[in-house]
Amino acid sequence: MRDTKTEIRIPADAKPVPFRGGGFRQRRHPLLAPLVLAALLAIWWAGSATGVISPIAMPAPKDVIDAFRDLWTTGALWTNLSVSLYRLLVGWILGSLLGIAVGLMIGLFSQARASALPIVSALFPVPKIALLPLFIIWFGIGEGSKVATILFGTFFPTVISTYAGVDAVDRGLIRMGQSFGLRWSSIVRKIILPGALPAILSGFRISFSIAIVLLVAAEMIGAQHGIGAYILMAGSLFNLGQLFAGVILLSAIGLFGSWLIGLAERRMLDWRQ
Amino acid sequence: MRILLDKISHAYDGTQVLQDISLDLGKGEIVSIIGPSGCGKSTLLRMIGGLERPTSGQVLVTGAAPQGCLNPLTYIFQDFALLPWRTVAGNISLVLEDHGIRGARAREVIDDVLARTKLSDFRKAWPRQLSGGMKQRVAIARALAVRPAVMLMDEPLSALDSQTRELLMDDLVELWTRTPFSAAYVTHNLAEAVRLGHRIVVLSRRPGRIREVVTIDMPLADRPAHMAELEKIQRDLWDMMRDEAAAADRELADA
Amino acid sequence: MTMTNRRALLAGLGAATAAPFVLPRRALAASDTIRVGILSLTSHAPALIAAAKGYFKEQGFEVKLVMFQAAQPMAVAIASGDIDFGMTAISGGLVSLAQKGAIRIIGGALQEHEGIEGQKILASKKAHDAGLKTPADLKGHSFGLTTAGSSFNYMADMIAKKSGFPASDMRLVPLQKVPAIIASLKSGQIDAWSIVPNIADALTKGPEVVEIGKISDYIPDYQVTTVFTSARIADTKPEIAKRYIAALSKGIDDYNNALVYKKADQAEVDAITKIIHQYVYSDQPLEKAAPRIQHGAMLCNPGAALTMSSVKSQLEWLQGANMAPKDVTLDQLVKTGYVKTL
Repeated sequence: MRDTKTEIRIPADAKPVPFRGGGFRQRRHPLLAPLVLAALLAIWWAGSATGVISPIAMPAPKDVIDAFRDLWTTGALWTNLSVSLYRLLVGWILGSLLGIAVGLMIGLFSQARASALPIVSALFPVPKIALLPLFIIWFGIGEGSKVATILFGTFFPTVISTYAGVDAVDRGLIRMGQSFGLRWSSIVRKIILPGALPAILSGFRISFSIAIVLLVAAEMIGAQHGIGAYILMAGSLFNLGQLFAGVILLSAIGLFGSWLIGLAERRMLDWRQ
Repeated sequence: MRILLDKISHAYDGTQVLQDISLDLGKGEIVSIIGPSGCGKSTLLRMIGGLERPTSGQVLVTGAAPQGCLNPLTYIFQDFALLPWRTVAGNISLVLEDHGIRGARAREVIDDVLARTKLSDFRKAWPRQLSGGMKQRVAIARALAVRPAVMLMDEPLSALDSQTRELLMDDLVELWTRTPFSAAYVTHNLAEAVRLGHRIVVLSRRPGRIREVVTIDMPLADRPAHMAELEKIQRDLWDMMRDEAAAADRELADA
Repeated sequence: MTMTNRRALLAGLGAATAAPFVLPRRALAASDTIRVGILSLTSHAPALIAAAKGYFKEQGFEVKLVMFQAAQPMAVAIASGDIDFGMTAISGGLVSLAQKGAIRIIGGALQEHEGIEGQKILASKKAHDAGLKTPADLKGHSFGLTTAGSSFNYMADMIAKKSGFPASDMRLVPLQKVPAIIASLKSGQIDAWSIVPNIADALTKGPEVVEIGKISDYIPDYQVTTVFTSARIADTKPEIAKRYIAALSKGIDDYNNALVYKKADQAEVDAITKIIHQYVYSDQPLEKAAPRIQHGAMLCNPGAALTMSSVKSQLEWLQGANMAPKDVTLDQLVKTGYVKTL
């Protein structure tokens, strides 16, 4: 006989098991970020207005707004932004393409790994800013040295993320490709590249940030326009309003870039989640 | 097409893994290869498929591959080896593309193998959406798509739970009954070996040698009805292997 | 007994009452540490000499020299209170800090004087061969700067003004650092530059750079560098500023006598050179550094006198070029009364 009904008697001293599973879980608080930002802005504004925050330590919000208005009305915003974006994109795209190519070589050929990897590892940590005087001689004070600074800065991390991505591709998948008699080029194109893509794309996030950092360094050399040159000039004139405006622009470029990369990840890696 | 193993011996870094293995894989025959862990059965399978070279001896093929065969020796892997960035149909199309089979012709092949593996509704699914059993069905479908002469199955059901395993065994028997294929079936599961093998090759522990070849003269389709007899064979096999399996279990992995 | 006691008491009283007038000077002096910003340039020699020869100590100062790589951070360090005195050219940044009530100019240092070594206008060999023979030919050429609003920017604009063409007809190339400008000039990537004589002469010795003119012909009485301090010291602690100027003036005299007027004997010149060498060209052996230090020293105004007309002209230029706030007055920038104004 089967009993589908189970009745239990609860003794008088029975207590619920104490719950211990709380915390350590990230929840969404969509309102918190804007609130914190607004609070910080309010403190900043009040501090500057009352003189608690010295004008040497921080510009008043009004100075920053004025700087933005000047940028807008004089058209300098577009001049600076367009030359900077040009340098950023050309340097970053070339650096990334070269980096992917070299990273693939290192990942695929043991000769390339043995010869190029030590050089890459040795040059990666060299601050490219230290090489600026050399870049002037090699690439001139025109666009060449600016693009080259960003290119070199983004090349090395891309090489490393690419070859690490190739290394991380499941060997079982490559063996599968071989067992089905796939051509070498097909294995690279259809198995290794897509397998390394997540690592390459997350490398892009890092290299894009590096590119923005290096933009300021690149525009130290003979740049009359550009966000980096604007920031440097504001710094040397001790115009903190302009300095902040420039920094905000850089950070906006960074946010936009990482949003674009996130979009690319969602499009290209839709198989993941 | 027949496959002949002629006195295969193999050593890794001075450790003898396989010793003097000779075997004949006939047409339309499934040969189960069992043995304690580390006896080199997977290595042997990789040698049959040309993914590894033996230290001595050779693997030979005789006879022509069947008409329309794209990849005579085709693997089915324990971990399925599906590309996570391709859909079910895409994973099958992968092995056809290099043979110039695209478009309508590819769709025809894919539809056929998906129907045979009961996957027609899952053409567009991503591997991550499939259960283990479904993934292995996709891998089987992919193997069928290249019309192999010999299937090389490396513990194909080991990553699956026991119920799924039963279902897939039935499916494999059904596929074989409809169009017999030859196969080398490596497993450590004796029940699978006796359910699917026309012959069962028992390897000794390292270095792997052939201890015994057991022939089961019963059509695959009839076997579920004669479980008791199979049970007995399975027990005999286990008696043969037990001591060595225990010894193999105590070995250090890298020794 | 009583008498002596009373006398002793009186004496004691006297000592006690005198103490506040006599001792404070010393008591204050003992704790009076001043920090002086230094760049690795010969023009900072007066402060180095004053420190080494004990002129600051004579004024009751304990002095600490703080090295900087560039003038801009030195000005900011005064604003932040990390150092007390500095010496640099008048730049947009300096004026902006003065406007924010952080720093004040209290004296003058290097100045262009007729008949004494002054800053030189240089051209790259490439540009010189292509026809850049005098500063008047600069129209259409590129000119190296550290940053916009720097003294180099001022000199370029003044040359253009005097030569009768707008400065926008030159391509002003900001390169941030002097070594970068030197590299660019030597390799012919910029056409022209202007710089203090000791650097200029070192460059023109090589085949890549040619001298094409003197700054004093274009900017007479140019007050190249100034002495500045924090607004707090200039406005509320005049005693400290006065004593600093006094000590610095002795250093200036020694520097001028040894290296500019060349009136001092060889032993003195060697001693001065040795002092400077601790901070300037210190990466080279003394024998090699000595000629570079001794050669081409510009006159430093005796008594740190300040040429107000030049300061005014520089301030107006900065404001006109939008590189300094428009509302800064000369009074905000300069605290007069510490030195003679010319």
